[in-house]
Amino acid sequence: MKIRDSKSTIIFKIVIYTLLTLGALICVFPFIVIISGSFTDNHTILTEGYGILPKNFTVAAYQTIFKAPQDILQAYMMTFYYTIQGTSVGLIMITMTAYVISRPEFKYRNNISFMIYFTSIFGGGIIPWYLMYSKVLGLKETTGGSMIAIWFPALMSPFLIILMRTFIKASVPDAISESAKIDGAGHMTIFFKIVLPVLGPGIATVGLFLALGYWNDWFRSSMFSTSSKTWELQFYLYDLLNATQALKQMAQNTSISTADLPTQSVKLAMAVVATGPVLLFYPFVQRYFVSGITIGAVKG
Amino acid sequence: MGKIKKLLSVILMLCMVLSLVACGSKGGEKDDDKNPSGNTGNQDDTDDGKDDPTDTPTEEPAIDTSEKVDLVFYVMGDAPVDEVLVEEEINKILLEKINATIDFQFSTWTDWAQKYNLELTSGQSDMIYVANWNSYGTLATAGAFLELDELLPTYAPNILATVDEGLLNMCKVDGTLYSIPGTWPEYTVNGIKYREDLRVKYDLPVPNSLENFEAYLLGIKEKDPNQGLLTVTTAESSGLVTAFDAANVFNLKYPWITNNAFPYGLAADYNTPADVYDYWYSEDFVEDMKLMKKWADLGFWSRSALSDPNNDESFKTGLCVAEVAGQNPNKHITAVTDFAKENPDWTSAYLAYGEVTGVLYPASAIQNATAIVRDSENPERALMALDLMFTDQTLNNLVQAGIEGTHYEIDANGYYKNLSENFKYEGFNTWNLRNNDYKLKQESDKLLSEMSAKYAEIGDKTKFPNVNIYSNFTENYDEYQVERAAVSDVMRQYLAPIQAGLVDDVEAEIAKFLEKAEAAGLTTCRDAFKEQWAAYCEEYGYK
Repeated sequence: MKIRDSKSTIIFKIVIYTLLTLGALICVFPFIVIISGSFTDNHTILTEGYGILPKNFTVAAYQTIFKAPQDILQAYMMTFYYTIQGTSVGLIMITMTAYVISRPEFKYRNNISFMIYFTSIFGGGIIPWYLMYSKVLGLKETTGGSMIAIWFPALMSPFLIILMRTFIKASVPDAISESAKIDGAGHMTIFFKIVLPVLGPGIATVGLFLALGYWNDWFRSSMFSTSSKTWELQFYLYDLLNATQALKQMAQNTSISTADLPTQSVKLAMAVVATGPVLLFYPFVQRYFVSGITIGAVKG
Repeated sequence: MGKIKKLLSVILMLCMVLSLVACGSKGGEKDDDKNPSGNTGNQDDTDDGKDDPTDTPTEEPAIDTSEKVDLVFYVMGDAPVDEVLVEEEINKILLEKINATIDFQFSTWTDWAQKYNLELTSGQSDMIYVANWNSYGTLATAGAFLELDELLPTYAPNILATVDEGLLNMCKVDGTLYSIPGTWPEYTVNGIKYREDLRVKYDLPVPNSLENFEAYLLGIKEKDPNQGLLTVTTAESSGLVTAFDAANVFNLKYPWITNNAFPYGLAADYNTPADVYDYWYSEDFVEDMKLMKKWADLGFWSRSALSDPNNDESFKTGLCVAEVAGQNPNKHITAVTDFAKENPDWTSAYLAYGEVTGVLYPASAIQNATAIVRDSENPERALMALDLMFTDQTLNNLVQAGIEGTHYEIDANGYYKNLSENFKYEGFNTWNLRNNDYKLKQESDKLLSEMSAKYAEIGDKTKFPNVNIYSNFTENYDEYQVERAAVSDVMRQYLAPIQAGLVDDVEAEIAKFLEKAEAAGLTTCRDAFKEQWAAYCEEYGYK
């Protein structure tokens, strides 16, 4: 037997569902415009503007892109590389750091935690940051170095370390690791055999944060890339737009050729090609995201 | 507490030791590098004078190029695909002639202003692209670039011989030379771009005066009411000069010294630069604004023009029949090419404001120039490389157009013809290395050079032949920055609707605008500007 909803509940549900549907539509709308625009003839976009359904349907924009797809593919590859490299190395470093500062027997754990936390409030600013990587570490001198400079700076963040520490503290009671110690386990054994196996959701959360950060990053490419071969995907797209704008502006003062800049529809098609796969992938992993953060938060 | 203190002090000490080590090594390197290559000439002089007067190679300081040097040239924009290929070709020649290699580094167009400054701070490049729109003056005053006056005769004699002294003078900041300009004269004169085919079709006058411009638009409106006329917005009017783009048409009426005259509603005629007058307070201004209202009422532009986004493709797509702001001959040529491609029966025509008023001059030399970064470790070799790239025809063509046969060829008419997408014309974005003698002519250059010739003729007849007398003037507004910003806000709020003709009572609105502007500090700005301008005219002898 089903319990029937009372009248007020039904009204409430109707209102909520309408609001949520509206909200969802507002979120989806820009994507629809982008996709429809990418299939619209460029001249139509310029004279009649964008529409929800493509007027004068054409795949010319996609043909233009896939005539020379190597640039996009290269950018895709590099982003995958940075994401995998950064996420895996970052995860190892973050969990290990978090484990160390979560151990009660570590005397200076609070001092070290404070220093990690401190950097999240007071930073040196962009100039020292840039000089550190480009000049002191000399990473901008070679192409290989500039690739390191793209993934290296984002390996660890205070927020993620503290999140992980809270998580470890909450899910591994001191008593367990203490009894393991009595049984003769060293720190390595405790970390790999006892702590890591229960860290699943924490690793998923932190890993997702890291991976998303790497996937969406364009700034470090902008700062450190010395060759367009090492560009991240987001930067490739961003620069495409910026170049068009900048060249148009420059053309006011000096004679430069602006004849073959990408057209509106090509830009939109680029956006579809670049974000499409992520859009499909995102809904499936997003739930880990939410559950992971809440687990860490409630018990911390 | 004690523990924390100890810990902190240890960390502080570590930091200091580290920074000492870092700084020390840098300083050491620089000294080592500079002595053998750079200052040998000077040192020889002094040493010889003291010890051994018999052999004195003082006349020609020997240039030591025995040590191979890698130079970095920082340029704007994105790299061409064949960057490495062309660099290798360039380096072959450079290695042979001055034992140096060059690596082009590109700012990309993302955050370029920020990266440009970071590049100067870190000092990793040797040569760098500079331009007035890239805050050349400010950076030079701040000491970002190396003084070139004394180095030029020794290390860049060819540049000294090729580049006109007048051009070099334009690149001077406070009397010191910091950059080498390109020598291709450009006339980026503002004007009106209009549809010649429609003008002929409906038998309308050339829009060479306010009356004719009105007749041109009105004629099109009568014959074809659905045709859009102007898509003017506030996009090109962000400064302190105008607040709405359509106000640019008044350049047809006044022989002002520069496009749209001075900021703060001041103005001076080109022939009497020292005689500054108040445009905003004049009867002319009221009359002009009434004309704007008339045009707005006639429906020349949209009622929502003030909030419309800029559509810079509207002329190309036929949404408007004339553009009056931010135009130059190159944009006309782009329009000609676009029309030929997409609407062959449309034609674009261009009328420079200067053709009507007789005030015309080439663009400032500092539009495209090259400077040597102050922290460069090999400024001498960088200057030598620059000298070669600029004045050696083979090298100049190689840098500007790539490898002949692979990237371009010269067609039967003697025009440049691109062969490869991987390195287009000026693929390295080195607009600063345009050498008028060696520049490979493009087909579109034909139209451009015809226009330039026409402008040069007019420019010759002006009071200061072919000189942009406004170009070296930089307003120093440190002391009235706040007032300036406030005036700018008032202009956007009160002047824009007046210039867009979207008010009922023009005179009352002008009075209100001036009142608000004065409250914002207009008088302070004006007085300071007038004073600085008078001093500038005095210094350069413009009367």
